[in-house]
Amino acid sequence: MTARHEVCPAAELEPGDRKLIEVGGISIGVFNVDGEYHALNNVCPHQLADLCAGPITGTTTSDEVGEFDEWVRDGEIIRCPWHGWEFEIASGESLFNPHVRTRTFEAAVEESNDPPSKPSGEASSSDNGETAVSESTANDCEGCQGTDRTAQEEEYGTNLAGDEPPVDTYDVEVEAETVVVYV
Amino acid sequence: MAQAPQTKDDAESSLSVVDCDLHQSYATDDELAAYLPKRYQSRGVVIPELLFRHESSSSRPDSFRGDTSSSEGGYNSAGVYPGSSKDGVINHLDENDIDYAFLTHQTDLTINGIPNTDYAFELAKAANEYAMEEWIPEDERFLMSLFVAMEEPEKSAEMIREMGDHPRVKQVLIQSVAGRNPFGQEYYWPVYEAAEEMGLQVGLHVSSTGTGTMNPPTAAGHPTTSVEWGSVVPAAYMGTLASLVAEGVLEKYPDLGFNFIEGGYMWVPHLIWRMDNIWKAARSQVPWLEKRPSEYIYDQVRFTTQPAHFPEDPRRLTKLMEAFDAEKLLMFSSDYPHHDTDDPDHALPPGLSDEAEARIYYKNAQEFYDLPDDPSDLE
Repeated sequence: MTARHEVCPAAELEPGDRKLIEVGGISIGVFNVDGEYHALNNVCPHQLADLCAGPITGTTTSDEVGEFDEWVRDGEIIRCPWHGWEFEIASGESLFNPHVRTRTFEAAVEESNDPPSKPSGEASSSDNGETAVSESTANDCEGCQGTDRTAQEEEYGTNLAGDEPPVDTYDVEVEAETVVVYV
Repeated sequence: MAQAPQTKDDAESSLSVVDCDLHQSYATDDELAAYLPKRYQSRGVVIPELLFRHESSSSRPDSFRGDTSSSEGGYNSAGVYPGSSKDGVINHLDENDIDYAFLTHQTDLTINGIPNTDYAFELAKAANEYAMEEWIPEDERFLMSLFVAMEEPEKSAEMIREMGDHPRVKQVLIQSVAGRNPFGQEYYWPVYEAAEEMGLQVGLHVSSTGTGTMNPPTAAGHPTTSVEWGSVVPAAYMGTLASLVAEGVLEKYPDLGFNFIEGGYMWVPHLIWRMDNIWKAARSQVPWLEKRPSEYIYDQVRFTTQPAHFPEDPRRLTKLMEAFDAEKLLMFSSDYPHHDTDDPDHALPPGLSDEAEARIYYKNAQEFYDLPDDPSDLE
């Protein structure tokens, strides 16, 4: 069960931009990567730093030992501000180890005339297509429980170094020129 | 106990002990100089020394050729080097049930510390030819290591291809590891390419590291005593191994293994855990690595046991070894005939499993060097 949460007008999240929001006690980074919208849980699985506050960057590849290819995937990588672990924004996957994945959330912009496509009836919709999600609804969403920072101490972090769980992603849509994230 | 794993439920192998570090030697410098090319024969053997004298310079008296009852006063006090007695060496093999022993040559022959690289190369080649002629035919348990001059990588590669197809040549040997640059760098790759091509492994030997005009064994500078040198010299191994991994040597030469000889092993878990952790953050500096550094090390790198580590309660060492799966990485070495030699019966702490002891005393080396159960099959 996911809950709908409006982030901002689409015009305020240009390609290359990010916004850090809080939904039901979960800190989330919402990104516009070259017109594609993505949302990540703002917790690095390593030592629980604010992952989404880190530099948005690209990375290196190599086809031959000792030789770098061109700088690639510019703007598609988030680097944790503490230890520099790299994650792909779209998937939440760690670059050094795809099984270490940050949680991502659905994020997109929907056309203003389209009715919001809600996955649940929990969010109320106004006549002009704008939507509002009450804080209490968001708080009730499935998955919110256990993903606050205290609970993540048990799930993430150095106690489980080497076997870190994925960090969540969330769906993002644009509805009525508004960026909406489903948590 | 070395004997423990040798018979019971181990019918698939008849081996007992493989000794990865046995220092045979010419008796005198003149004996080696005879193998140098004419242009260097009058110059003889000139090697950089430690910048201090070792306090305990004793070596086993029975290892000296000729009538020498004591090694008091230095390696060469009787005019001959330790390890020059073939009887002494062969007794060491017989007494300890050693099935194979890697000849690692006169330990002070600091090939990689010689500024004249042409001379360094010729000296390495002379030592190899001497050992091939004087020692290898003497006992089928002897395995050959080819000294290489790392600052002459192309010439060394050519020598590896010329001498490396003898069935008893099993590795290339890098003597001392404080070279001009870390040995993972591309400049040195011709050596690794040739070794892999000839089906050899690469041994590294720590002794003489940081002597003479070489880089010091650590960035703290040249030590003044053997107390310091012996305690810190594994740091040079750390730098070498980190370089081999990060520069991609293990990725580029996947069939090549590296054996770090005489550096002990408790620095290994530090390096493995730290390197993995730093690599997670700095992966973009080494995008050619396809797996985490520790995976390369467990797959392709081994370490010899000597000099043995012993805390006051040796059983604590057993726990430390289990913490990094030491039985997958270690191979026994005696360092015969030197002052810090390890007897195979006293090289490991108590409490290791029979399988772990078997792996360390012979199984790992048998796999690493692809050794048949019967030495006479190596022809």
